[in-house]
Amino acid sequence: MTEPKFDELIHQSTRLSIMGLLAAADWADFAFLREELGMSDSALSKQLSTLEAAGYVTIDRPVSDHRRRVRASLTQPGMAAFQGHVAALRRIVEGADTRPLLAPQSK
Amino acid sequence: MAQDISPLEARGALDAIDRGRRHVIDEIDLPTWYWWGLALGWIGLGVITDLKHPWLTAAATLVFGAVHAAVAPRAASGRHRTQHLSVRAEVAGRRTARFVIGSVAALGLLTVAAALAASADGAGHPVTMASVLVAVIILLGGPRLLAAIRRRAAA
Repeated sequence: MTEPKFDELIHQSTRLSIMGLLAAADWADFAFLREELGMSDSALSKQLSTLEAAGYVTIDRPVSDHRRRVRASLTQPGMAAFQGHVAALRRIVEGADTRPLLAPQSK
Repeated sequence: MAQDISPLEARGALDAIDRGRRHVIDEIDLPTWYWWGLALGWIGLGVITDLKHPWLTAAATLVFGAVHAAVAPRAASGRHRTQHLSVRAEVAGRRTARFVIGSVAALGLLTVAAALAASADGAGHPVTMASVLVAVIILLGGPRLLAAIRRRAAA
């Protein structure tokens, strides 16, 4: 079971969406991410650079059909951090769900 | 920082993550050539069976099974619908593989049932007729069924 660990870097909404998409994929190219997230090239580049600098994402630039593509994928530490963050979010939600049940017992 | 996050905000974040996962699952698909290959192979097997040479039928069935077993894992991974994304094996592989295995078994049973019905009706080439029927079902129904499973998996 993944240890819950809240990650402030991941929690920012755009970065969370990027990590969520990449967590279900081996890799996704820049155009796919841009389309899914409705972001500009520069805004997406900035967020990917932040995640890359944190060691959560790797950016590859393979050449396919004579065109240079940009592909992003999660690193192992990135996946671990993402799973820890998801576990932390679930704990917060579950804590809220169980609080009303626990309240009468604490009286 | 985690203490500052309300359960409502945490729920919203989890929903955003789930939406992303669904968008990736939407990309799961099998290539067109897989459906055509399966349909044509099915008809070929039906025609050979109607020749009524048990050894030839057995050999053709083995070849069909071996070719499908070799090709399906790559095609049926369902991970490369577009060149924009590769769906993670844990997300795509299991449910697509289950779909392919289940479909081939169901199609086999349907072919036998249709061939028996055609034979009882006095058809000259019952297995060929049954396999053509099943091939049409593969081409028309396969992609739609997979899409339905994809939607259910994402729900």
